[in-house]
Amino acid sequence: MSLSRLALPMAGLAAMAAVAALSGDFQLRFLAEILLIGTAVLSLDLLIGFGGLISLGHAALFGSAAYAAAIAAQHLGASLPVMLGIGIAMGTAVAALMGLVILRAGSLFLLILALLFGQIVWEICFHWREVTGGADGLRGLPPLSLGPWALGDARSLFVLAGLLALGSLGVARSFVASPLGRALIGTREQPIRMQALGYTLFSVRFRALLVAGAMAGAAGSLYPFVNLYVGPQSVHWTLSATMIIMLVIGGVGSLWGAFLGTAVYLALQTYVGAWTDRWQLCVGLLFVLTVLVMPQGLASGFLRLTRKGRTP
Amino acid sequence: MPKHCQNDIRPGASLGRRGLLAGAAALGLARPAIAQAQPLRIGMVTSLSGPFTALGESMRAGMQLLLAQSGQAIAGRRVEFLVEDDQARPEEGVRKARKLIGQDRVDLLCGVISSGVALALRDVVTEARMPTFLLGSANDLARKAASPFILRPTKTNWMLGDTAARWTYEKVSKSKVLTVGSDYAAGREYIGDFAEGYRRLGGGIGRQLWTPLGSADFGPLLTTIASERPEVVYGFFAGSDAVRFLRQWKEYRLAGRVPLVGTGAFFDQEDVLPAVGDAALGAVNTFHQSPTAPASAAFIEAYRATGKPLPGEFSTTGYVCGQVIKAALERSNGDLADWEKTRAGLFAAPVETAFGPMPFDPRNGQAILDIHVNEVKRGEDGRMVNTVLHTYRQVRDPGIPA
Repeated sequence: MSLSRLALPMAGLAAMAAVAALSGDFQLRFLAEILLIGTAVLSLDLLIGFGGLISLGHAALFGSAAYAAAIAAQHLGASLPVMLGIGIAMGTAVAALMGLVILRAGSLFLLILALLFGQIVWEICFHWREVTGGADGLRGLPPLSLGPWALGDARSLFVLAGLLALGSLGVARSFVASPLGRALIGTREQPIRMQALGYTLFSVRFRALLVAGAMAGAAGSLYPFVNLYVGPQSVHWTLSATMIIMLVIGGVGSLWGAFLGTAVYLALQTYVGAWTDRWQLCVGLLFVLTVLVMPQGLASGFLRLTRKGRTP
Repeated sequence: MPKHCQNDIRPGASLGRRGLLAGAAALGLARPAIAQAQPLRIGMVTSLSGPFTALGESMRAGMQLLLAQSGQAIAGRRVEFLVEDDQARPEEGVRKARKLIGQDRVDLLCGVISSGVALALRDVVTEARMPTFLLGSANDLARKAASPFILRPTKTNWMLGDTAARWTYEKVSKSKVLTVGSDYAAGREYIGDFAEGYRRLGGGIGRQLWTPLGSADFGPLLTTIASERPEVVYGFFAGSDAVRFLRQWKEYRLAGRVPLVGTGAFFDQEDVLPAVGDAALGAVNTFHQSPTAPASAAFIEAYRATGKPLPGEFSTTGYVCGQVIKAALERSNGDLADWEKTRAGLFAAPVETAFGPMPFDPRNGQAILDIHVNEVKRGEDGRMVNTVLHTYRQVRDPGIPA
């Protein structure tokens, strides 16, 4: 039991070490970006996959943490624990505010309120030029560091992003298995019965949103250091929508599928985009195919294939 | 290896006839070796989707025209031209630039339309020590964001805004200028630099109106302008905003009644004027590009021979960027390994381009340009053409304030 529980993280660490040793600078940064955005998509999976809360404002949590970290880095220097702390605090705080606004409504209205909330955050980032740099965004950030070690190179960034992704995956799994996670699933499946059992829907969902916010915030706090830049696009609702597409491609409710979906989406965008201007058509086709053929996403389709292979 | 041969030849040439012969032989051998072994990989980041799609396609077409004219080879090296789409989004542009640098191993980078993308790329290319010919026009690129690895063979926003202020003050009106513009980074700079220059000369700015990027209805704005009765309106819009504004400018019967001054992109020859009929007739703009500027005649002929209309800003910019890259490589014999030297070679003498002779400011790598004052006039075949009224010679961005 304990061995099998350790096997997955160990395999993850081994794979990371191999990749870190073998890949070039561009690939490592690209993978770091996938892992960070993937972590944000993972936190969105907690809301959508387990709480049925389809939020179209998730980029606001991720992006505001990125801005907070970038602004803090310009004044305090980019110490890793400080950045992570600020990102998590910002993500949680924005999630709390967002929760107060959006959790009053259900389904469609929740989605729209989340969208509007996200756009308010975007407006602030876009127009508060003195602090956020407006449309130009922020650049000229110091490299990430931990005490005497500089962590600004591609390899360190990749390792950091990998550790954060693995850690978040662990947190997400134990969250889903915890009483709160079970209650969250309950509020999705049987909201009325859950209320009859004495649960307050708002408080269960609110706490889930705080966990997701903290996770997205942690990922967001490292994001500016991958490209040494943060701009208003990282809080825009189109990124929220992209995250949902990534999640659907990867597999809603599968947790690790979040990383798969992010990797497929970003790889399509980067590599197919080099061949044709119509890469968005490919993303669209893939999205439709996923929904039609593998409604549970690539993650479960992948698992099904391997299981078939094992039992002939 | 062949690079070393070439560098060694120069001092060898003065040694005497034998050295000269040996050198010539080595040259003869070395040249094809370079051409075969090391193609020159040029990476371009530009907008092929998003709001600047048409401009990005023009930029690519301009560059491709120059490469076709050069037989797909520069300074004896075969050219591989790789284009990536930045969607006018900084994150996307940075990722694509990193891909070109890290995976495709390009020898140099060029392109970019959006100032946001250009500023975001600044640290990336500087960190990677990648020679970059950056075509975004934010003032900061020639000032506090200048970089030893970035050359700028195009204008800064200040160069157009400030010359427009000079022309407006001297020839149009000394007071009651109303400004109107798109509320984003470039718009703020074009309008801000104009207002600053105009006030410095002693002129008075009236109301300043702003609209968001991508406005569809300028009605409220135009009725405000009509009721303000300004002596002159100075404006900046780009792309589809410019087209919609000018059409409504005519619908509200302001065309021909209130003098309109703007920066060049507002009346772009390729992307705007063909779409607005005679709405812009008589409008004046300051621009480094004009279809009637003598320096661009050869380019215009070649561009139109490919079945395209009269070129506008970005097709010319793409072509000029190619000309500057070509000059830089030819002056360093096709060798980019010593960027300091290549840069010095480019700064040593002006480059002949479709924008006219182009010297560079060695402080920030910014081109010094002739800025034309164009008036939109009816051409011989009835088409609207930006016609040069006056040229401000050799306008230089103030650069980093000391």
